[in-house]
Amino acid sequence: MNPEGIKYHKEHTWARIEGSMATVGITDFAQEALGDIVYIELPELGASVTAGESMSDIESAKATSPVISPVTGTVKEVNSALEDEPEMINPDPYGKGWIVVVEITGQGDLLDAAAYDAFLKEESQ
Amino acid sequence: MSLVVIGSGPGGYVAAIKAAQLGQSVTIIEDTEVGGTCLNRGCIPTKALIASTSLLSKARELDKYGIDLNGTVSPNLEKIMARKDKIVSTQVKGIRGLFKSWGIKLLEGKGRLLEGKTVEVLLNDGSSISIEADNIIIATGSSPAHIPAFPVDGINVLTSDHALVLTEIPKSMVIVGAGVIGCEWAFIFRELGALVTVVEMLPRALATEDTEVSALIAREMKKKKIKLMTETSVSKVVVESDHIVTKLLNGPDVVAEKMLVSIGRAFNSTGLGLEEVGVKTGKSGEILVDEQMRTNIKGVYAVGDVTGGMLLAHTASAEGIIAARNICGQEVKMDYSCIPAAIFTSPEIASVGLRDFQVHEMGIKTRTGMFQYRALGKAHAIGEIVGFFKIIADEETDRVLGAHVVGSEASVVIHEAAVAIRNGLTSKDLARTIHAHPTLSEGLMEAAEDVHGEAIHLPKK
Repeated sequence: MNPEGIKYHKEHTWARIEGSMATVGITDFAQEALGDIVYIELPELGASVTAGESMSDIESAKATSPVISPVTGTVKEVNSALEDEPEMINPDPYGKGWIVVVEITGQGDLLDAAAYDAFLKEESQ
Repeated sequence: MSLVVIGSGPGGYVAAIKAAQLGQSVTIIEDTEVGGTCLNRGCIPTKALIASTSLLSKARELDKYGIDLNGTVSPNLEKIMARKDKIVSTQVKGIRGLFKSWGIKLLEGKGRLLEGKTVEVLLNDGSSISIEADNIIIATGSSPAHIPAFPVDGINVLTSDHALVLTEIPKSMVIVGAGVIGCEWAFIFRELGALVTVVEMLPRALATEDTEVSALIAREMKKKKIKLMTETSVSKVVVESDHIVTKLLNGPDVVAEKMLVSIGRAFNSTGLGLEEVGVKTGKSGEILVDEQMRTNIKGVYAVGDVTGGMLLAHTASAEGIIAARNICGQEVKMDYSCIPAAIFTSPEIASVGLRDFQVHEMGIKTRTGMFQYRALGKAHAIGEIVGFFKIIADEETDRVLGAHVVGSEASVVIHEAAVAIRNGLTSKDLARTIHAHPTLSEGLMEAAEDVHGEAIHLPKK
């Protein structure tokens, strides 16, 4: 159910790693659990992010939660369209709802799609 | 017994009425307009403006509430200001009416203390008279502080006094100082459409509030695209014909059409004859008083902003009542331990009692309960889901020590926490008081429950 070819963090974020760059976002499970997203506090360009640590905060109708970075590195690009339309994440968390592009120096303990699906199944039991 | 009150703001006019109620023959002296800063240049006019800007903000999201708008919504500053002026003048008339009803004589002019409890009044019509009194209360208030580095001219570089009489909405505004005044104006100007930058020397906005309050309001500023720069000092202000360049010690220049300087208040203690009569003042010019609001000179009292301290209208009023009662022979002391305060940013902020950093500094062991607005059905129903309720209770006794609310109607919700603190109630007392549903006040009850991990509408921890 989760797309192949990208890596998943157990804190429900994903990274599409291409060479030294990784596009990062939250998973479909995360957006579903959060409900309608009303705001995302985007990291600044050039900010350092660390795998397993919060890189931004996301607010939904239900909760305010940290977004846990799946990778370590420097923020090279932010999806500034989310400033005005954070709700774009809900229908398209792996596409238009991407959050940042990070130049990576390391990554967390990441899962492939099948392992993440299995992890979600386990969690729900 | 006769009493002269100098200054008719919320300190002076309340003291005058209380003293008259207790049988004193009262004269009150005012050189501008009754009501003081609060009514004429502070609390009331800004809240009138905020009523307009919050309605504007709601109108911009009518669609969210299922209402179609056939046309556009835009602020008309002339009308907004006219409404504000009308509200102020109605309230001024109200105070004048109260004076008349309680037999208080209003003299319009400047008062000055002379030896032997005599007050010389230079009346606004140019004449002067002297009046003797058994007691005197000084309640002359405060004014925006002037610091030479900021060339306030009332046109380009403003204080809050000038901001209240603007005739055009500036396209951009740099606000120096992220205290209560700076933050309230930041939201007002932003809602009106100005690009706003707030520059603050300290590490956070509203540095006297709980740190979680500052964090939330910083995020709300970010959402509204108000640029907040903390730990930033202004090195130079260059006023050009149509814009102002603010040079920072640690950052790029900020260019804006106008500047609002909100870096503090100065105490109105000069020109009152204090030195001549020997009334002691502190190093910032504040009049020194004891808990009964007495100065060092027998029969001379001082209340409100001019005595320094919290600079809150309701503190001034409470002090005015204490002074009046002491003058009338009741031995009463001012208690500063439980004074709620409200800040009318968007959303509102209200607090009472201790902040997180204070309990830390004091080394008190506490438990904290927290509850989010977005977990309340009512918050969703009215479309106001931003904010939180926070209760700090003593770990041992469970007594409520502090409460902090950020969110819609925070200024209303806070008062039950004030009752709790004032009367030594525990978080469990608050939690076990049934709160009506659906209301925002339920959030404070849930926060009180959360002190012991018992909030119903929070997941298991």
